[in-house]
Amino acid sequence: MDVVLEQYFDLGLMVEEFGFVLDGFWETLQLSILSGVLALAWGLVLALLRQLPGRALAPVRFVTIAYIDAFRGVPLLLVILIISGSLPFVAEGLGLPRSVGIPQWLGKPDPFWYGVFAITVTYGAYMAEVYRAGIESVPGGQTEAARSLGMSHGQAMHHVVVPQAVRRVIPPLLNDFIALMKDSSLVGVIALLEVVEAGRTVQAETLNSSALTLGALMFLVVTIPLARLVDRLIAGQQARFQRGGAPA
Amino acid sequence: MLELQGVHKRFGDLHVLRGVDMKVERGSVVCVIGPSGSGKSTLLRCVNLLEPPDEGRILLEGREITGDGSRDGLDFVRRKVGLVFQQFNLFPHKTALENVCLAQEKVLGRSKREAREQGAALLERVGLADKVDEYPERLSGGQQQRVAIARALAMDPHVMLFDEVTSALDPELIKEVLDVMRELADEGMTMVVVTHEIGFARDVGDRVAFMDEGVVLEEGPPAEVLGNPREERTKRFLGLVLEH
Repeated sequence: MDVVLEQYFDLGLMVEEFGFVLDGFWETLQLSILSGVLALAWGLVLALLRQLPGRALAPVRFVTIAYIDAFRGVPLLLVILIISGSLPFVAEGLGLPRSVGIPQWLGKPDPFWYGVFAITVTYGAYMAEVYRAGIESVPGGQTEAARSLGMSHGQAMHHVVVPQAVRRVIPPLLNDFIALMKDSSLVGVIALLEVVEAGRTVQAETLNSSALTLGALMFLVVTIPLARLVDRLIAGQQARFQRGGAPA
Repeated sequence: MLELQGVHKRFGDLHVLRGVDMKVERGSVVCVIGPSGSGKSTLLRCVNLLEPPDEGRILLEGREITGDGSRDGLDFVRRKVGLVFQQFNLFPHKTALENVCLAQEKVLGRSKREAREQGAALLERVGLADKVDEYPERLSGGQQQRVAIARALAMDPHVMLFDEVTSALDPELIKEVLDVMRELADEGMTMVVVTHEIGFARDVGDRVAFMDEGVVLEEGPPAEVLGNPREERTKRFLGLVLEH
């Protein structure tokens, strides 16, 4: 029993490495929040492209669906590796400035930006599907009413459909954000010193996993309240739905 | 004002409209009655081009809006024709006043102030001056439907289409909506009213059209069509409707 406590809950080690692990977690938070916001926006763009009307725009829809299918179907780790491994060469080959191939903006190392890019393109595809479900859950009568008042497809989407859809999909989007935050640790593989990589460094030096346990606790401090928030939002929506009002 | 010539509409194998002819004079009220599934609602949706007709011509103020005319005809139609739905279709995330203002600002380009003045005046006209800031969720069905009428009127339409606007309402709420429509008719609005309210058709309608199986079976002044119908089908339908 003692060995378990010592391996996972060595308080002395935790205290000693707290600052180092917290720095890693701060990196994780920045990576997750920036990627999360970008993925939210990119996902909405994809969902709207997918909903464009008319025969003339069928190719746009087709390409969008292909993109979403592709990035939903491959592991994030793979996307991280192909971006970080080849983007410098691709950018150079295309004659783009070095700051695009090896981005080190805002004082962040290039693995951070490869991570942001990989997570955004991958989670954008997941979130596009969530938005789509939201858009499709808005009754067709809403679009018809907007159109009958002379609004264009874009205006109807912008002012009538999307505002209602977004309200409905906030809980599932938050769930996706929790998943995104956990997946951000994969960027540790390309040497970004985020929380898991920080814990692993300590583990390698001390042959003790307590720094990783500490990282896990830091995750839980953020993810458990988020999960409770999701539950509460869903309960609120259901209560409204049962009152017979619009699930707005 | 509004003229339909041999309008057909199919949904896959379902042949909903089978050659509808109809004429609506300026300032007149045409009530369309008939059994469920006879194509009444589809007819209105065709006039609004929510469902473009497969065959036939529709003319609005002398201009063809179907066929070649339908491309830029769409804007023309949506601006001239107001449509009120059975299910109200108010925007639930907007207040009554915002519902009435949205398209005024975005489509007609009116300023916020202008739209609000116009919107408030219209809500007052339908008897909802005290409900401008309520969300649809907090309004009764009759109140919601009156907001929907005000919303359509805000676009200054030349023709108003009503698609069974009282069918989803509790009986005690029907009158308040019909009263608003009656006033509109008295003020000279051109209206096409799909309805099950035979009393309304008789009192307010200038013409009544009986539809069955995708065609207008008979059409004429209410006293004739409702009082002394030619067609056997019309008699049977009226018998069933008026019995209870």
